Amino acid sequence: MWIFDGPLFWFVLGILSCLAVTAFRLWAQDRRLHMTWWKWIGVIAWMAFAGASLAFVGTSLGEGEARAAIMGALFAGVLVLVSGALLWRVLQWR
Amino acid sequence: MLQDQQGEQRAVSRRSFLKASGAASAVLGASGLGVWGYRHGKDPATYSGCEGFQGASQCFDRARFSTHEPHYEVVGPTSRANGRTEVIFSRMGILGRAVRQGLAVEQMDEPWKSFYLAHPDTLALDQLALEAQAQTRAEAQTQGERFILTKAWSRAMSAVSPRGIGDAPPEESDFPERAGEPMRMKDPAATAKLIKKVSYEFGSVLTGIAKLNPDWVYAYPFRRRGFPMDEPLEVPTHWEYAIVVGTPMSWDPLYANPNFGTSEDAYSKSRIVAYRLVSFIKQLGYAARPHTPGADYDLMVPPILVDAGIGEQGRHGVVVTPELGSNYRPAIVTTNLPLAVDKPIRFGVQKFCRSCKICATQCPSGAITKGDKCVVRGYRRYAISPSKCLRFWNSNLGNMGCRICVAACPYTRKANWIHRSALQLTAHDPTGLSHRLLTGLQTRFYPGPEPQDYYAESLGGKNASYRPAPWWLRTEDFIETSS
Repeated sequence: MWIFDGPLFWFVLGILSCLAVTAFRLWAQDRRLHMTWWKWIGVIAWMAFAGASLAFVGTSLGEGEARAAIMGALFAGVLVLVSGALLWRVLQWR
Repeated sequence: MLQDQQGEQRAVSRRSFLKASGAASAVLGASGLGVWGYRHGKDPATYSGCEGFQGASQCFDRARFSTHEPHYEVVGPTSRANGRTEVIFSRMGILGRAVRQGLAVEQMDEPWKSFYLAHPDTLALDQLALEAQAQTRAEAQTQGERFILTKAWSRAMSAVSPRGIGDAPPEESDFPERAGEPMRMKDPAATAKLIKKVSYEFGSVLTGIAKLNPDWVYAYPFRRRGFPMDEPLEVPTHWEYAIVVGTPMSWDPLYANPNFGTSEDAYSKSRIVAYRLVSFIKQLGYAARPHTPGADYDLMVPPILVDAGIGEQGRHGVVVTPELGSNYRPAIVTTNLPLAVDKPIRFGVQKFCRSCKICATQCPSGAITKGDKCVVRGYRRYAISPSKCLRFWNSNLGNMGCRICVAACPYTRKANWIHRSALQLTAHDPTGLSHRLLTGLQTRFYPGPEPQDYYAESLGGKNASYRPAPWWLRTEDFIETSS
């Protein structure tokens, strides 16, 4: 578990994020989505928000604040889903 | 033709492979963030003030928030607090003795007689505080077993203490024993840097320096410490500067207040730091005097912390620091060593406290106001009721004191990314909108027990703590008890 305690984690996460973005680009091409720069910003912002929500839940559990973790999961989970659905509609714009 | 088809299939499979591995990366990265968050939340390094004695805790960029004026506002003629009557720990001893001797208020000595006759409400509250201890005494015999370990820990933390300064007048006790000229210091700024560095080496976590405002010195002494108790306290001319040093209380027990925390751990450390600093300054040939917790003071501490840029005084009367929130137990060293002083800081606490009120809501004694600031001795500030506060202290079965307001303060949080981000947001938000949002989240995400639940069972409570006791203070896990 040492990997989570140092800068190597962020290096690996960076690689994984690049792979995920590359996969999304291919997937968007297959779906014939017209991706503009601001749509890319929306996608990356959504990914960051979803990641931060997961990190919030994990950190709250680590702190021993189970209620904050549950509330955070519910609150942020709904926001992630709703914003994801909205983003999907936006991505389909031509 | 066949080659083209094979090439296309390979391209499709490469494309599919990239898409699949990207999806897997997204899942892996998301899981990794969750695990990283969990480990970060548990990380002992997020217990601010415990990183090491090198001043690393003073990580907040104070320069961006420094101001020339402290946040308290002078609104009329100012006066100094009377250490004999206005400090509850001074007058309660006198009142307790009078009650034991069966004396009426009119039979008490001056100045306490006049004080209580002029403040009948305070007298009634102080009497209730005295009675509170008797009310829970029987319960403490049976329920108190739960707190054997934390009481042992608290006593152990206070077992090592400096000798004290004795009863010689400050013109003697504050100065070096060896007569001679003080060292010629090159530059006050360099000396201030040196003093801060050695204070960190001595164990201080946050250190600040201010010019001593005489208004913060008691008008009459709170403790003898070389001053005649019946005479007004003349501020010695060599008390030019006030050096603030301090340490946090241990974090896990702090959250388990009022029962399992103690002030003694930080008190003891801060005391030792102050005495070490006094020794250091005296060896440079200058005068120095420690003002240390729990009760060896000639002055009021919180406004000096404000002057020295350590933080802002909150609704609960405690100074809120950016790094440790309210979890900072200070000591002061007054000196004539020429020093460059720090500026007060304003990082949004006044605005935040106005709407937050979590400490006031959580306070079981009602000692913290939910109202606005009022004028105290010519200064506009939040007033608290020490009598109400002490009443709860005396009825509590765990360690002496309460500290719930410190634990519940939204600023008193570990130094992890969640709380640091919230701190930066509030510090940079001039509108106050984020303050309301974060207070709402704090109330819903990190609620404490009902205030009444903090009381002992005989007083209608559940003997609750803000958070559960840390594993190493759970007596029942280590010791066979009768209950």
